[in-house]
Amino acid sequence: MWEARAPSKQTSFVEIKKAIITAAGKNQRTLPLQTLVDRDSASKTALAIIVEEVMKAGVEEICVVVRPGDQAAYRVAAGPHANRVQFVEQAESLGYGHAVHCAKEFSGDQPFLLLVGDHLYLTREAKNCAQQLVEVAKAEACAVSAVQATHESKLPYYGAVGGHLVPGRQRLYQVESVLEKPTPTEAEQKLIVPGLRAGRYLCFFGMHVLTPPVMQLLGEAIASTKTGVQLSAALNRLAAKERYLALELRGRRYDIGVKYGLLTAQLALAFDGKDRDEVMSGLVEMLALKGE
Amino acid sequence: MTGKLRQIITASDPATRDQSLDAFGRGASLEGLLQECEDLEAFRHRSENLYERVRALFFLYAMHRFHLPTKAGMKLRGLVPFKGYNHLLRRRFEEALEVFLATQAADGPSDAISSALASTYYRLGIQTLADQVRRSVRSVRGNQWMFRMGHPADQPLRIRPELLQRSPTGGGYPILREQTPVRMDLTHSAWSDIFFLGMDFPEGANVLNVSVDLAVKGRHATPKPPIEVYLRVIDEPVLRLTSVDLGTAADISNLNEVFDFAKDYLGLLKAAVIAAGIVPPGIEGSGQSLADLLARLAGPGRGLELISNVNDIPKGSRLAVSTNLLASLISVCMRATSQAQSLEGALQENERRLVLARSILGEWLGGSGGGWQDSGGVWPGMKLIRGAVAQEGDPEFGLSRGRLMPVHRVLDTKDVSVEMRQKLQDSLVLVHGGMAQNVGPILEMVTEKYLLRSESEWKGRLQALGILDEILGALRNKDVRGVGAATSRNFHDPIQTIIPWASTFYTETLIARARKEFGEDFWGFWMLGGMSGGGMGFIFAPEKKQLAQVRLQEIMSQTKRELESALPFAMEPVVYDFAINEKGTWADLLSGEELLLPQGYYALVVPKLLRLDLDSLPPLRRAELDKFAAASRTEQELRGAVQDVFDSVLPQPKAATMAGESLSELLEQNGFDRAQHEQIRADLKEGRIGLAQNRLPAKTKIEDVQPEDVIDATGGLPGDCVELGKAAIANGEVAVVTLAAGVGSRWTQGAGVVKALHPFCKMGGRHRTFLEVHLAKSRRVGRQSGTMLPHVVTTSYLTHEPIESFLAWQQNYGYPGPLVLSPGKAIGLRMIPMERDLRFLWEEMPQQLLDEQAQKVRDSLRTALIGWAKGAGEGSDYTDNVSAQCLHPVGHWYEISNLLRNGTLARLLNEQPNLKHLLLHNIDTLGADVDAALLGLHIREGACLSFEMITRRIEDRGGGLARVNGSVRILEGLAIPREEDEFVLSYYNSLTTWIDIGKLLAVFGLSAGDLNNPEKVAAAIRNLAVRMPAYITLKEVKKRWGHGQEDIFPVAQFEKLWGDMSALPEVDCRYVVVPRRRGQQLKEQAQLDGWLRDGSAAYVESLCEWKSEI
Repeated sequence: MWEARAPSKQTSFVEIKKAIITAAGKNQRTLPLQTLVDRDSASKTALAIIVEEVMKAGVEEICVVVRPGDQAAYRVAAGPHANRVQFVEQAESLGYGHAVHCAKEFSGDQPFLLLVGDHLYLTREAKNCAQQLVEVAKAEACAVSAVQATHESKLPYYGAVGGHLVPGRQRLYQVESVLEKPTPTEAEQKLIVPGLRAGRYLCFFGMHVLTPPVMQLLGEAIASTKTGVQLSAALNRLAAKERYLALELRGRRYDIGVKYGLLTAQLALAFDGKDRDEVMSGLVEMLALKGE
Repeated sequence: MTGKLRQIITASDPATRDQSLDAFGRGASLEGLLQECEDLEAFRHRSENLYERVRALFFLYAMHRFHLPTKAGMKLRGLVPFKGYNHLLRRRFEEALEVFLATQAADGPSDAISSALASTYYRLGIQTLADQVRRSVRSVRGNQWMFRMGHPADQPLRIRPELLQRSPTGGGYPILREQTPVRMDLTHSAWSDIFFLGMDFPEGANVLNVSVDLAVKGRHATPKPPIEVYLRVIDEPVLRLTSVDLGTAADISNLNEVFDFAKDYLGLLKAAVIAAGIVPPGIEGSGQSLADLLARLAGPGRGLELISNVNDIPKGSRLAVSTNLLASLISVCMRATSQAQSLEGALQENERRLVLARSILGEWLGGSGGGWQDSGGVWPGMKLIRGAVAQEGDPEFGLSRGRLMPVHRVLDTKDVSVEMRQKLQDSLVLVHGGMAQNVGPILEMVTEKYLLRSESEWKGRLQALGILDEILGALRNKDVRGVGAATSRNFHDPIQTIIPWASTFYTETLIARARKEFGEDFWGFWMLGGMSGGGMGFIFAPEKKQLAQVRLQEIMSQTKRELESALPFAMEPVVYDFAINEKGTWADLLSGEELLLPQGYYALVVPKLLRLDLDSLPPLRRAELDKFAAASRTEQELRGAVQDVFDSVLPQPKAATMAGESLSELLEQNGFDRAQHEQIRADLKEGRIGLAQNRLPAKTKIEDVQPEDVIDATGGLPGDCVELGKAAIANGEVAVVTLAAGVGSRWTQGAGVVKALHPFCKMGGRHRTFLEVHLAKSRRVGRQSGTMLPHVVTTSYLTHEPIESFLAWQQNYGYPGPLVLSPGKAIGLRMIPMERDLRFLWEEMPQQLLDEQAQKVRDSLRTALIGWAKGAGEGSDYTDNVSAQCLHPVGHWYEISNLLRNGTLARLLNEQPNLKHLLLHNIDTLGADVDAALLGLHIREGACLSFEMITRRIEDRGGGLARVNGSVRILEGLAIPREEDEFVLSYYNSLTTWIDIGKLLAVFGLSAGDLNNPEKVAAAIRNLAVRMPAYITLKEVKKRWGHGQEDIFPVAQFEKLWGDMSALPEVDCRYVVVPRRRGQQLKEQAQLDGWLRDGSAAYVESLCEWKSEI
């Protein structure tokens, strides 16, 4: 039972000062370098937008996991906050879990915020997605993953969690199991969460606050296998070991790595920012011309 | 006190709950029973518990079927409202009940309305149970999502990356092969693995189930898993399905076609693809693209190929071959889409359970349904499968006591040692006796008897549970002889107590012969599956096993030869070698040099490819050909395939029909009238005759008869009739004519066996044929009167020789009187039906709708059969079958006129100068006998023909006694202008007729002396025949092929019917109402159980005097 699982004693949740951003995926390495126009009408790289999001959440130090040789480009892409960013290289593509573990020295015995470099996050709330997550993690003093109720047809793309609502809370779940890209068959047997609509599961949002034991579990996994290491497997073990929550965020993620992903993310930023009218009228004009 | 039955149903203590209804019904009055019915009817509406409702429905059925009709004061004559009947056909059961109950309230209770209520309650009970199983199947976790998915973009499954790694040398994708054993039921569970039973009485659902490999002796060298399936990715956006064992392959590019189960022999593969979620059930009818769905799974432009291969194991083996094949196909599909973690090797327990859940779903989709133990081959070795009580959180909780899915415990070597497993293999001879029968009705009977807790059957069920423990004990103690004793006792006691029809005369003959030959070394018989006659086990002392295998083959072949006209055999019996499979279902990923498919696959596929332009073939198919070509030069096992391919691409002589030349000879020899046949064909093709044209004009006035139109003999007849009849019998004035020219199309669904010779039921301690029963009645009458009755059996080409040799073999059943066969002199040749008639039968005539999924399968099959008729040539001769199945008898009118033509009547009159009357009856009218009172009545009335009628029940379809435009006559069902007209007729024709010979001859324009003038007789018959209507009918015939496979085809034939004699104005007729037990006919084997239980069988037995008794 989760009540019996105590928060990790050596972990201090007073502040979450560190963040890890992964950008070493095979098809992912150039994505954070793409330039978009942010809500404030300024052109920035995707990496810079992510870094700003993280810093608003109170993070002071950022580690980006990159492929060997990518450091220089990323340093430039980090923009005005480059001085807060350090880099660690993942020499071999051995899975997402392995990439995270590359930043073990950086995180040390501190909890850390983890994001992927090819996603942008938007919310209409006063607090951005990273802020919402970090606040809950600090309040609950445990690992928390951001999740979103996702239709089962999207299961092949995400890790998913099973569990139940924390008594008396909304959108906050006690995680009991984690599976990476489950089939709906498996999801239906192991991941049904009371309160969600049929055929929907809590899938990862690409943003977590994790505790040092995760690094330890990843290290064990790396030692025991020569093939890829998934973060989900380590988080599944974490759920059995200590209190681990999932927060259904009020926000949307934009994967800039998929077809038209960059365009969609750009439009989302534009509609949410200063240039909304300009972009809208441009689009309307395009639509009108198409109709001629 | 009303409510007694309700208390039995709702009682929580087993002693009350397990009380039998029969005990209560026997003691109650008519009024008391009706009050209980009313109480139960109200109760079932308000109860929310599934099993309370179902049990109430079965109680109501049993009261109306078995108890109310026997009560004093019950009215016999009554009408069933057509409106209610129509509701029943449309499966609107509640509406039907409303109508029938309203009729009962308005007209008072009657035998007729009770029959309608019984039928409706029964079907509603079965439907309620089926609905619950269906709901449970859908609500099993892991199955639900498939019913939600309706668009290719939502397909969440992906083919595993390992299966997408193409061979670097340009070959194809790797092949995932699954090999699966079949299952053998070691204890016979008294059918406790029927879903309904397991869900209501999980404690009683226990099975010991063994996975086995097989080899057909003489065909294969060593036992291996009989089922192999293969899956691979292909570079065409289609679903390529191939059934090697059924010789069928198809490329499916359309979603709708995946759900078309009966279109070809690929229904099982389609059901597997659907149940595995590759084409999820939720997408049916969505209008979406299969290519898009496959692209989502395997990548753009790609598809999947699925191949099944059952190694020559015949159908009806009672080893659940088809369910395990389905499970194997589902397993390979689930492995390929990551729904099972284990890509290769065995499955994990949770994966096996998922395969089980999906197999249940697949069986439901395909409109079939086995028991829950049937996919046992997925598990390894020996296992105990038990029902499970539903717990909170289960979808079944609160609805049924048990869960849909049982629990499997694989037995370890402590339960059954390695030594004992070997001993079992050393003693058991596993066979397929050659019979293939539909066990569906048996499963319904078991369910019904369980719910009614019929006294002896319930005891039998409890006894079977004890036998399971006994077998487990014997296995632990390494006592094979003990196992044999227990399985034998199981077969003879509980199994046959519950279902007498589980045994057959064939089985019992085999057991007796094995026992006679092997004596103490024959340790026991073991029934497999739903009924005996197909797959069976015989246990011998180990040192005798080899001999027993040889001898059993010979005994079975000999017994089959003796009985093949009497019982439906689908194939030559075989003996298996078998071995316990300790692995369960098992998969391997084949690549590189291993990438070869079974030989039969190439024999099927390569010829088709060779006929195409090689340049237009997709690269992988060309590579496949190259691979086959290379392998066939080096692989020994592919040598045969090369020959097959060679044969199939070379031009063949024009395909000879199966019936071949022997058919035309037979037609010539048996009085086939070619001119008449051609006329019928022309009329049929032009639409002058046909099912619709059989009917009388729509303006014909059809009314029920008035009381004065019939003589009611149900309450007995005056003493003078009895005396008159007795004197006539003693004076040798009467003979019996049994009509036996037919092959009982409905009795064995077109299997073509001689119904007269079917040992259908045990009476007087052993199985009796219809013919033996009729002779036993004549024997009793003859002995009692002191004058043995001449007994004539009319035959046709189809039945003459079998009946003649059977009677010789049985020494005329010891019948002491004259026993004469009257051979047929008229025969017809069946024709391919017209599409118009098929549509009339299936679309315009009221049809019994089936349960949702089964109806879909039937609709699909019917579309295929209409396609077959059009392709084969409507109205052309049906010759693509064995001769006997191409010919048909031309109706019972000819059987009587043949008595005149073939000299039988002349000879009888010559030998029995006092003979004046005939009692004519159908082979399946078992209660008909030479009753002195009825004969006396016939003599007193002085009529030419006295027809015996019975009051109608809902199941009595096919015409009746009517006033047709004011004239009283028998109206054949085929001639009734509108369906609803039959429902105004309260009497049904039993066909039993008392005939005044002299007056009948006069109708033909003949005298007794003319019978010696063949020309005059032939002319007289021809003259009368033209006045008799010829009806076109559609009959079902079975075509057998492969190893025990059967297809059923509708064929057109014509017939002239005896009842139409009553329409001739010059024929003086009487219509006598007789008790139902005397006049009812047994048309379907499913009627047997009710016939046995309602006292009809005992009545018939009371009329009989068997050979040994004199």
